Amino acid sequence: MGDEVTVSTVAEAMYEMVKQYHGKKNLKAMDLTKAMIEKFGGDNCDKQLCKQAIRELIDSGRCTYSYVGGSYIVLPPT
Amino acid sequence: MAEPKKKRITDIGPPSYENFLPPIIKKNYGKWKYHEIIKPGVLMHVSESGDKLYSVRAATPRLAATDTIRLFAQIADEFCDGFLRYTSRNNVEFLITDEKKVEPCIAKLKKEGYPVGGMGNSITNIVHTQGWVHCHSAATDASGVVKCVMDELFPYFESMKLPAKLRIAFACCLNMCGAVHCSDIALLGVHIKPPVVSHDTLPAQCEIPTTVSACPTGAVRTATVDGKPSVEIVEEQCMFCANCFTVCPSIKLNNPTDGLSVWVGGKVSNARHEPMFSKLAIPYIPNEPPRWPTVVKSVKNIVEVYAKNARKFERMGEWIERIGWPKFFELTEIPFTKYHIDDFTHAGESFRRSVYFRQSDVRE
Amino acid sequence: MAAKLRETPLIDELLKGPWPSFVKEIKKCAQNEKNERGSARSNDLLGVLERSYKETIGHWKHGGIVGVMGYGGGVIGRYNDLPEEFPNVAHFHTIRVNQPSGWFYTSDILRKLCDIWDKHGSGITNMHGSTGDIVFLGCATDDLEPTFADLTALGFDLGGSGSAVRTPSCCCGMARCEWACYDTMALTDDLTRTFQDELHRPAFPYKFKFKMSGCPNDCVASIARADMSIIGTWRDDIQIDQKAVADYASKLNLENDVISRCPTKCMSWDGKKLSIDNSNCVKCMHCINAMPKALAPGKDRGATILLGSKAPIIGGALLSSVIVPFLKIEPPYEDIKELAEAIWDLWAEHGKNRERVGEFIQRIGMGNFLEQIGLEPRPEMVINPRSNPYIFYDQDQE
Repeated sequence: MGDEVTVSTVAEAMYEMVKQYHGKKNLKAMDLTKAMIEKFGGDNCDKQLCKQAIRELIDSGRCTYSYVGGSYIVLPPT
Repeated sequence: MAEPKKKRITDIGPPSYENFLPPIIKKNYGKWKYHEIIKPGVLMHVSESGDKLYSVRAATPRLAATDTIRLFAQIADEFCDGFLRYTSRNNVEFLITDEKKVEPCIAKLKKEGYPVGGMGNSITNIVHTQGWVHCHSAATDASGVVKCVMDELFPYFESMKLPAKLRIAFACCLNMCGAVHCSDIALLGVHIKPPVVSHDTLPAQCEIPTTVSACPTGAVRTATVDGKPSVEIVEEQCMFCANCFTVCPSIKLNNPTDGLSVWVGGKVSNARHEPMFSKLAIPYIPNEPPRWPTVVKSVKNIVEVYAKNARKFERMGEWIERIGWPKFFELTEIPFTKYHIDDFTHAGESFRRSVYFRQSDVRE
Repeated sequence: MAAKLRETPLIDELLKGPWPSFVKEIKKCAQNEKNERGSARSNDLLGVLERSYKETIGHWKHGGIVGVMGYGGGVIGRYNDLPEEFPNVAHFHTIRVNQPSGWFYTSDILRKLCDIWDKHGSGITNMHGSTGDIVFLGCATDDLEPTFADLTALGFDLGGSGSAVRTPSCCCGMARCEWACYDTMALTDDLTRTFQDELHRPAFPYKFKFKMSGCPNDCVASIARADMSIIGTWRDDIQIDQKAVADYASKLNLENDVISRCPTKCMSWDGKKLSIDNSNCVKCMHCINAMPKALAPGKDRGATILLGSKAPIIGGALLSSVIVPFLKIEPPYEDIKELAEAIWDLWAEHGKNRERVGEFIQRIGMGNFLEQIGLEPRPEMVINPRSNPYIFYDQDQE
């Protein structure tokens, strides 16, 4: 495999996914995690890395948590 | 004026409880020997060391103004060196080491309008939810009904004359933030009309697949309304749980026809009998603000029939199990209806599959 | 100067009677001259409530994107549906403040919490919310961050909400109860600290609650209200003070009030000596409750761990069921933490949206669940073995 998958790489890929699904489907933390493990492969990306990536996305303000009968990760309101 | 940016503190958790324990508790932690209720509302805990701690329990309405909390702080300063705690049922307890301060503390609390009691074989504070004060899915008010019921049952709070303790809980909808389903008497807000879908706002507010799958009976189906994607409700299949509303604010279930139901015979302790769910006694009582006379009357009736007929130590559910449900409905004069017979998952488990019952109970 | 109170003839009826009135509490806040903004909010709340009492319907909306930066929990979004009429409660959010274990306070810390809430909010609280948090009721969106900053500076943090670990809570345990079979407050405090990330950053299919009760009396209703119920119990003999039993014999009818109430009929009294067949004791607590000076739980103490209780939404209410019949509860509690993490790992990956652990176990089967988290089946886990012959035999079995 090529370069090492970093937290930022995963965060970027997650952000693209949240953008892509915006207005279509709300994604939960586990939806993003499963998709990333699929995308980067289990050897390069695990649940812990995804957790860090989600934290980076949220702490940077690029994404935010939303609650509608369950907790989702969405784009911040404009 | 721009302040220098301070480092944001997160994930520190609550302060350690050790900061707030009175010296007598720190000294006797894990070394208590026994306790007694020396009078209604006053517990005395005796330690192996011989130390004695008096806890004076007062009712609060749960919803408290900061000024009231400040008042409790002042009372704690006056009688217990500033140490107090709250209970799991919204009472406040003043932790007194000097026995001579017990009566003055009680007098002060009563004077300020916070009655002392709720111990032993009594009816203590009603755990409850937000109701119309603050909840989006409330089928009824919570604090108001609780206030009216406790006004009526007040003598049972201040005394210990019941056969056993009697726990009442209140939840303003089936979400049951108060998890009332294991209480001697549970009051539960209910919706009785199917939800109304706002097709204009739904596409923007709700995710249709999530909304459809939220329904436990499959009553929410995808639909196209005026060319836009939405959902429709199969009304015959709706059991008014409001789960669709929780995931989709455009499906409104609140309705002026909402009301309350009454459930009896649950418990969480293991004493004598395993924990039990509360069972349906009264399927529907309309909302009657501001004083909810029918609910109050119904609860009082159940309490009085129980108090008169149960044996010492017998909780509501144990008493009903001993006499049988037909007798419960006979004694309380509550009509038994088709709504009392379960028709959800595992309903059949509550059908009687024997001839093992008292024929004397069968009346024309 | 505080504005004139709204006229509320209907809810004023709730000022009458001996029980403390919540309407009086809201009015106290509405008349708090030291808190002008907050009192205006409380005054509008009176108006909204009066309207609900008139129309028999609530006026609140839920959900949305609201919270403090970085957290997905601790703030519950609440909006009024009559914002033009009641502008001061247009957004009126709930802040859950994680309580110290056992709900012990000093007057000093309570005053400091009140100062924060008078500075930023309505002045209305719940002491406490159903899950156990200190609840600040009625915060405007812009006031959330400043409130949070002041709370953390005082040493407090937010509790859980949403699809996350919810604020753990417990009985007062060893602090003031001789029946506590383990240190409930210490365990609650430790779990709360250990799982801060799981509490503040929702990553589960739905909520997950821990409740710690020190004995089978279960004063925090753990069996009915917690996804993981940790209920104190013991393995050895009930401690008996025969002299104290004899004292009770003059006050109680031992045969009727104690002996015959034992669910397994494992006690006897010959007029002088109380005998207990401890091998048949089911730790119900009745005899101990009835004679607290004479009897006490044994000395080999620990807890039973049960899983899965919940209120009705969605698949019906459940009580927790036994998963570990007996466990010594000692710091650093690694066994409990590993068990919780194993459960979360499995449930987070395979649970459906809004499916609680109790429902998840029923869907995938307890047998499968035990295999996945690495626990052995035990007869204590069931009331009886299955009576139906529809068995999913493993295909890799010889």
